[in-house]
Amino acid sequence: MSLLDAAQAQLLAPRYLGWLLEGWLTTLWAALVVIVASTLLGVGFAAARTSTRSGLRRLAALYVSAFRNTPLLVQLFFWYFGAPSLLPQAAREWLNAGHRFWPSFEVLSALVGLVLYATAFVGEELRAGMRGVPATQLQAGTALGFTRAQVLRHVVLPQAIRIAVSPLLGQYMNIVKNTSLAMAVGLVELSYTARQVEAETFKTFQAFGFATFFYVVTVAALELLSARVSRRQAALPRA
Amino acid sequence: MNEAAATLQVLADNLPYLLWGRWPEGPLGGAALTLLLSAGSALASALLGLVGGVALAMASGGWRALLVLALGFLRAVPVLMLIFWTYFLLPMALGIDVPGVLSVMCALSLVGGAYLAHAVHAGVRGVPAGQWQAGLSLGFTRWGTLRHLVMPQALRMMLPSFINQWVTLIKDSSLAYIVGVGELSFVAAQVNARTMLYPSEIFVFVGAIYWLLCSGLDLGVQALLRGRQARAEAS
Repeated sequence: MSLLDAAQAQLLAPRYLGWLLEGWLTTLWAALVVIVASTLLGVGFAAARTSTRSGLRRLAALYVSAFRNTPLLVQLFFWYFGAPSLLPQAAREWLNAGHRFWPSFEVLSALVGLVLYATAFVGEELRAGMRGVPATQLQAGTALGFTRAQVLRHVVLPQAIRIAVSPLLGQYMNIVKNTSLAMAVGLVELSYTARQVEAETFKTFQAFGFATFFYVVTVAALELLSARVSRRQAALPRA
Repeated sequence: MNEAAATLQVLADNLPYLLWGRWPEGPLGGAALTLLLSAGSALASALLGLVGGVALAMASGGWRALLVLALGFLRAVPVLMLIFWTYFLLPMALGIDVPGVLSVMCALSLVGGAYLAHAVHAGVRGVPAGQWQAGLSLGFTRWGTLRHLVMPQALRMMLPSFINQWVTLIKDSSLAYIVGVGELSFVAAQVNARTMLYPSEIFVFVGAIYWLLCSGLDLGVQALLRGRQARAEAS
């Protein structure tokens, strides 16, 4: 075998590269879904954490404690293995049957687990941002006759997001990395395909190398975005 | 027998296995292995973090850039991916059979160390410049000032980051499941597959064990600090 052939034998066949690329795409859209959903839920969560009703506040605090102090993997196992047994028989059968335009049960439980875990982190960053907004802003809004919800939505939240944007992007990077755990419940994302390619070709370096590269590219893109946002914010005049 | 009693029975039957695996007849596993894995990684990550953070604060030029790049890499890659790497690379690099627990510990220590290095660096930088000048003018070397004046103050500021990182380590130790190390998550999945009953109860129970470990560490250290502070104020 010539040197060229030997080098070529080390390459991954296009078929396997295709698997890895598909896995990367799944990682990207799963991360996007989790980012959007956890941010929307996180707003509601932060509102509950700062609510005037103590019962709601306590409930939200309990949520943080439970979801932040247990491993994501165990939570995913719960949603995948455990949660169906809590549903009525008919609902279970419907979920397992598979439907058009409806995610498979693996995808659904992975997304539910990832979103609920991420909400506990994203929501806390949003709350920290809300605490950075001066109380006078809330008072001014209320004095103008807005309801508390309206003030939160139109006055406090826009400022809170601006304050929290950097830690939020940090959490979004974590979300990208956390999607890798969903391979344990059968989501065919980047880590899953890397393992598949490795098992199939025995080319450990290449399979994990490509996957690692794709993760680094994704997180680096978010890092660049974060640096750009904080540069722009530094350039803005302080209110 | 009613449902609740049956659930309790299954949990009680499997409790020793969930807590310490087959030990002492077989290898240690379950929650005990989770603790061991976390404690080992916590120690190693603290050491790596201290060395890395001090290097970030003291080094300059090309070496520093290289270190920043390496730390950035470790923080950008999912822990799961790093576990894959150490699991396959360590035996290859050392030419011996490395137990799965050690490769996972190695991956967790590297990630934890990378995060802590930045916390240590920030802590060292957070100490006012006047402290450095005071140390240098007293005749201490740069390293002497760091060791005797800056570090003791910086460590106090860093403690919350260390605790956060250690809680993360306990949670991340569950990833050892992926390479078949018999820690708590792995034995939980085993018990679940074996009994096929009460899956939600089993994972809620295992989640509760993790919750106790994580919040116990958090609350314990906070209580310790409060006690020390109260004593310092009293004296």
